[in-house]
Amino acid sequence: METSSSGPDRSEVLTGDALHPLDTSITSIWTIKLLGLAVLLFLPALFYDLTHMFAPDAWLPFGVLSGTVLGLGLLYGIAWPRLRYRSWGFALRPEELYVEHGVITNVRTVVPLRRIQHVDVSQDLIEREYALGRLVVHTAGSRSSDVVVPGLPLAEAERIRDEVKRFILEDPLTEDPV
Amino acid sequence: MPSPSTHSESESVPSPQGDGTPASSQEDAATASSPEEGAVPSSPEEPSTSGEGEQGNSEEARGDVPSASDPSASTEKEPSADAPGVSSATLGDVQEPQRLHPLTLLLRVGQSLPALFVILLPTLQNPSSENVFSVVFSLLYGLVALPAIVLQYLRFSYRITPKQIVIQKGVLKRQNRSIPIERIQNIQIEENLVARLLGLAKVTIETAGSSATEGSLEYVSTSDAHDIRRAVRSFQHRGAADADEADGDEGEPTGEELFSMALPHVLLSGAFRFSLLYIALVFSAFQLVDPELIVQRVLRSQGRIDQITEAMAAHPGLSILASIIAAGVLGWISGILIHLARYYNFHLWLDGDKLRKRHGLFTVTEGTIPLKKVQTLILRTNPLMRAFGWYELEVQTVGMNVDEQGHRVVAPFAQYGDVLSLARRIRSFELPDAFGNVSPITIRRRFARYSMALAAVLVPSAYFWPTDWWMPGGLALPWWGFTLIPFVLGWAVLQYRNHDYAVRDDGLYIRRGVLAHYLWIIPTEKHHVFHTTATIFQRRLDLKTLFVDTAGAATFAYPEVIDLPADEAEEQLDRLYGRFQTLYRARIEAATGAPDTRLDEEERPQLSVAEDS
Repeated sequence: METSSSGPDRSEVLTGDALHPLDTSITSIWTIKLLGLAVLLFLPALFYDLTHMFAPDAWLPFGVLSGTVLGLGLLYGIAWPRLRYRSWGFALRPEELYVEHGVITNVRTVVPLRRIQHVDVSQDLIEREYALGRLVVHTAGSRSSDVVVPGLPLAEAERIRDEVKRFILEDPLTEDPV
Repeated sequence: MPSPSTHSESESVPSPQGDGTPASSQEDAATASSPEEGAVPSSPEEPSTSGEGEQGNSEEARGDVPSASDPSASTEKEPSADAPGVSSATLGDVQEPQRLHPLTLLLRVGQSLPALFVILLPTLQNPSSENVFSVVFSLLYGLVALPAIVLQYLRFSYRITPKQIVIQKGVLKRQNRSIPIERIQNIQIEENLVARLLGLAKVTIETAGSSATEGSLEYVSTSDAHDIRRAVRSFQHRGAADADEADGDEGEPTGEELFSMALPHVLLSGAFRFSLLYIALVFSAFQLVDPELIVQRVLRSQGRIDQITEAMAAHPGLSILASIIAAGVLGWISGILIHLARYYNFHLWLDGDKLRKRHGLFTVTEGTIPLKKVQTLILRTNPLMRAFGWYELEVQTVGMNVDEQGHRVVAPFAQYGDVLSLARRIRSFELPDAFGNVSPITIRRRFARYSMALAAVLVPSAYFWPTDWWMPGGLALPWWGFTLIPFVLGWAVLQYRNHDYAVRDDGLYIRRGVLAHYLWIIPTEKHHVFHTTATIFQRRLDLKTLFVDTAGAATFAYPEVIDLPADEAEEQLDRLYGRFQTLYRARIEAATGAPDTRLDEEERPQLSVAEDS
């Protein structure tokens, strides 16, 4: 299933071998981040509710505003990461990195390995707790010059980075990248 | 980890020579240039001492620089010694640290005057004791700014050696930048009006790979500017070929002239463009004039104004027409003037593997575009120009002039056939016979989108429309805006008709746009990243957008094929990427004489599937 035998004309890049999902714990990380955002929105709403608790001309009964914000925030923080996780998939193929993602706008990206300028593996605080890393691939393209694959086990991210590095180092063509 | 081709903060073009000298700001190069100073007997002490002074500030860079450039510098000693004809006669003085032209001081002071004017504005408008603060401020400003200008001037020096250009500058923070000669792509000489009157020019140095200007000399005398450019050229050519390329007397470019525009041609080109610059001019004129003065004038000429307002009230349609005509004429005239200022005396030469152009009325700009750096060819036009067969040719480049958004105009105004043959000189291509349309459903999407946008503007404004304002037929004016819906539909149809594409062996061709109509020619070897995207609405209609990223593409008006049928988009992406693969596999085979071994089954990079369960 992993033979992406490329004919002279077609690459079959979109129909190649199966895509790898991200690590499942990335949903927890996204949930934590989104819930943090929800709390940030909830606090002002709560403040408004409390300060207008006894206002004579209150246009909303107590707790409606903050309750709505909290409810929507919780829903968003829990449901959205799952949707996002399902939309993600990637594959490192012999000559390219193939990435698929996006809930609202579905994006399929083919990054030829020889076009990669450099590769980073980065980690933020929460990701470090889960021992996950994100692969950041820089190309010379202008509109989407950085392709990011989040939620990889750190070791795996580093291995991909090294594979890409090897590919570039062993490239027999010594031409300017742009 | 020694990343393959990268530096953490500098640009990551692997140096073709492999000498590991990155192009951007290396801290010091006094050691590298010391061999050359031996060739200039006039004052060998001075450069090295000034270099020594910098070493104290930048020891951290000292460790790697000499090791990187010492061997190459010693090999470079031979050529610099055997070609004294050029270097000693015309460049001997350039090899020593040079100051900028003294008149730079005058220009800099002149440039700082607007700030002073802003500070003094309250006093100028109303000279009283209340506004004494601004005078104090301006004195303080003068106390700070003038010494700063002088210090900056004194602390700025540049030096050109056969190996590199060294620029030292900075008052509080010293910066010592060396730009390797072989990395220099473009030396642009720019003379704005004031500088030209004083015989000065600004020299900007651009290198491959970096997106910004690497160094700029503001200002040197015009002859020095041409000397610098000639010196750099001759140093660059010395490595490759002999001195028969060492070109140009007094900056007169050699090579074959590809395109030029005479004055009538420039005026004609301006006549086809409109510019809204006059609006900015009017507003800035208002700011210079005291508003009270205008009010008084208006009050005094009340009678005439009344006549005008009466006439306008009597014939609203006529006055609207008149103002539209006035705006059109103003826009037309300013379009002509702008084109005249920008493209006066336009010349384009093909000089070996570089394009060179020079143009401008007040600010004369000269620059080069290496053909290898051309990413995308862009033919641009507007409906008026298209009706008469006029087109503009732009090329997309990287690491060049940022002001032009990575797009450089190669021919501002030429007939279609001329543009095509000119474009073929830059890079050969065959325009496809048949372009394929995108899905007609795009009309529906565009119509829905534009109607929504129209409604989003009209409904709120109709809701808040005051009852005593104009309400033709008893309805608020914005409601009448919905009569534009048929035009919206027509617009959507026009957009569909003007959007098509073709995938050929040599690249991707895309045409799009109604008011600004583009033809992008994207060669396969310049493709970078391949995308298909589908928004939530596109997915419902089974549509996709195809997009091939190129280096230095503009952030708006980028070449994408919008609303292809989903299958077709994927198929074309497959085809484009397949061509890209084929091209590079063939190149590798041609370069090494064998297929790429990295792609073997056992060599292939693999993910261990065990870990991601």
